[in-house]
Amino acid sequence: MRAVTEMTPRIEPAAPPAEKGTPLLELRGISKTFPGVKALDDVSFAIWPGEVHMLLGENGAGKSSLMKVLCGAYQADAGAYFHKGAPVEIRSPADARRLGIAVIFQEFSLVPYLDIAQNIFLGREFPSRIPGLTDRRRLYREAKAVLDRIGLDVDPRTKVHTLGVAQQQMVEIAKALSQEARILVMDEPTAALSDRETERLFAVMKQLQEKGVAIVYISHRMAEVFALGDRITVLRDGKLVGRAMPGETTPDELVRMMVGRNVDMSYPRRFATEKGEVALEVKGVSAKNGIADINLTVRAGEIVGLCGLVGSGRTEVARAIFGADEVTAGEIRIFGAAQTGGPDAAARIGVGLIPESRKTEGLALIRSVSDNLAVAGLPKMFPNMLFSPGKVRRTAEDIISRLRIATPSARQTVSLLSGGNQQKVVIGKWLAAGTRLFIFDEPTRGIDVGAKSEIFALIDQLVADGAAVLMISSEQAEIVHVCDRAYVMRGKRIVGELSRSELSEENIVRMGMHDE
Amino acid sequence: MSDQALSTPAPRLPSIPGVAIMLVALSVGFALASPGFLTGGNISNILVQSVLLLLLALPMTLIIMTEGLDLSMGAVLTLASLVLAIILVTTKSLMLGLAGAVAVGVAFGLLNGWLVSVLAIPPFVATLGTMGAAQGLALIVSDGQSVVGIPRYVRQVYSGDVMGIPTPVLIGAGFYALFHVLLYHTRFGTYICALGGNRDALTLAGVKWRRLLIAVYALGGAMAGVAALLMTARMNAGHPTAAIGMEFDAIAAVALGGTSFEKGNGWIFGTLMGVVTVGILRNGLNLMAVPSSVQVACIGGLVIFALFLDSIRGHKS
Repeated sequence: MRAVTEMTPRIEPAAPPAEKGTPLLELRGISKTFPGVKALDDVSFAIWPGEVHMLLGENGAGKSSLMKVLCGAYQADAGAYFHKGAPVEIRSPADARRLGIAVIFQEFSLVPYLDIAQNIFLGREFPSRIPGLTDRRRLYREAKAVLDRIGLDVDPRTKVHTLGVAQQQMVEIAKALSQEARILVMDEPTAALSDRETERLFAVMKQLQEKGVAIVYISHRMAEVFALGDRITVLRDGKLVGRAMPGETTPDELVRMMVGRNVDMSYPRRFATEKGEVALEVKGVSAKNGIADINLTVRAGEIVGLCGLVGSGRTEVARAIFGADEVTAGEIRIFGAAQTGGPDAAARIGVGLIPESRKTEGLALIRSVSDNLAVAGLPKMFPNMLFSPGKVRRTAEDIISRLRIATPSARQTVSLLSGGNQQKVVIGKWLAAGTRLFIFDEPTRGIDVGAKSEIFALIDQLVADGAAVLMISSEQAEIVHVCDRAYVMRGKRIVGELSRSELSEENIVRMGMHDE
Repeated sequence: MSDQALSTPAPRLPSIPGVAIMLVALSVGFALASPGFLTGGNISNILVQSVLLLLLALPMTLIIMTEGLDLSMGAVLTLASLVLAIILVTTKSLMLGLAGAVAVGVAFGLLNGWLVSVLAIPPFVATLGTMGAAQGLALIVSDGQSVVGIPRYVRQVYSGDVMGIPTPVLIGAGFYALFHVLLYHTRFGTYICALGGNRDALTLAGVKWRRLLIAVYALGGAMAGVAALLMTARMNAGHPTAAIGMEFDAIAAVALGGTSFEKGNGWIFGTLMGVVTVGILRNGLNLMAVPSSVQVACIGGLVIFALFLDSIRGHKS
């Protein structure tokens, strides 16, 4: 797996950095300690007007903490702030807002049952002429203006809970824009956006840059780092490990800084040479969730990719196979047996789903590693309904050592593990259930660069042991480097199949793109 | 499944809420079953009798929208009505009495709000505790006896009218309008929705939400104080067990009205319909001479049925 292959810049480089002068905002020697963790250790950081400053680092490197210090949500234990060269204090979100700092959070700060306009102006409602009341007409007028600016064509009276993830992200962006921020902080703003929305966002960013707004941008996508960034700062373990200009560095160098060691990103896969038995056969399947006429096959010993744009119907296919969504036409056969039941039936005949939302759908976060590992295998382990804690512990410990899950003990609460190890627990729970067909939905989402190749090594081990894998991923580079074959989806249908030799990012993109 | 096209308008299916269906169905059913139901006098009766519940259900809606609950409301109402009765008997002053009742309500509301927001005690537990405290105090101040000898003019609050409209209905309409404006036309209302929907969003917007949460519970207490006046005027006495279980009716009316216990999803007009539905049910069952113990069971069944209606329709859309 090489991250560099996804680094073909799609966007023109941004304007060159403004003349160096006094930074708009400067943080010097910022430290922040939580019980047991030094989240930030003597980090200094400066932004100039009109610049996009890229902030890089693995999960837990301190990017989010730095952002929260910047916007006043956290107070630093040590360090100083300077605004246009003059010392200032940021003790609360209100202080940050007064300095013109606005943040677009990755975890949404939206209120589901308020409408778009109310969310955009939360805490900044317009007073009406009648004392105590708010001016609703002005609220919707101003909201409409902001939405027009970012090209979001939705009624500002729409309640936020009815919006999709991408639209919610756009509302977050509108919220930050409406504050007429001089410093805009974005935490992976494109993670949930489609290509078209991403382009729109970049266009808005460029406008803002031209007006002298400074942008702090956190990203895991190297293409964005090089296309948008004027300056790059890399954090690791709460420390500043590197500063660079995009013209003077390479993706490989940045990755080395982030992980602090030379990670072998090109994990060598032993691609399938002989075809195993048919593990999954989907024939002409349509389902209530919108997918139509889906045909695909996965054999034992194979990793088959399922790609396409977000929203093309990939997750829906996985849910239909797993019996989570109702199938209206066609046939699904798993190891020769027709799958007509729900997820329980699918699990019984050996299907395991490793869902996209690990924390809500894959794990019981507040329970132990051992409980999570056992949960899917309980019917198999205890056919007589009589529970034996010893057997659960032995099974859990066996899986922990097989998958090399880094946990102090089987009793550790799962929420305390890193993303990569949590993902291993989700995989492990299906191992305990005797699963032979694994469906992965975005297996590396929210997982550190270093842990990603470990997850792929694990998936490779699964197929080497005779399992079959269907893998959904938005990271085309992952599909290209890991899969034996791949199907490409568009508009809830499969539009093509790529063999190992045809697999390339260009082919996937070409097939999956909307004809416009 | 995780995204929509940028320009797709959110689906807005015109849907009739379960409570409206129940309201109509019950009205039709009782009208057919009992000839006395659909008379002007009886309809006026239903409205008058519903006002007391409305005064509690309005603030309960706001409290539930913050993902909270106030189990102490019935007991605080009882205590406030006893304090009101005692002040009326001793000073003969309605204003002093009302001020005393509201003060008792606000005191308990502030206590509830402080427990919930500052000490972060779950609302169920915090208000269960204050419910016991208020009920105990009610028995202490009344010595377990009814308080009688209230000036006759106080009855006018309940049985009087202004230009043919019963006073309680006017009071109810006034407070309904007040809560509607509060929820939909003030910052406070927007923040109530956010308290239940996403407290972090409020913090990040620089709003000090703990004070707001305390204010919401205090408002609930104040309304219990106002309701105490209406209840005392109706009974012409203070009674130490008068309003036991009123919080059940209030929570039931709110739930019936479609306010969710999660994420700040509330609807003040739904609460009004919920209150009237409970009122119709009680009235109709009274006309049919059904004992009040059975009526409570019917309300419980009604709440479950209305929520069931909403949930099956929710799955469809």
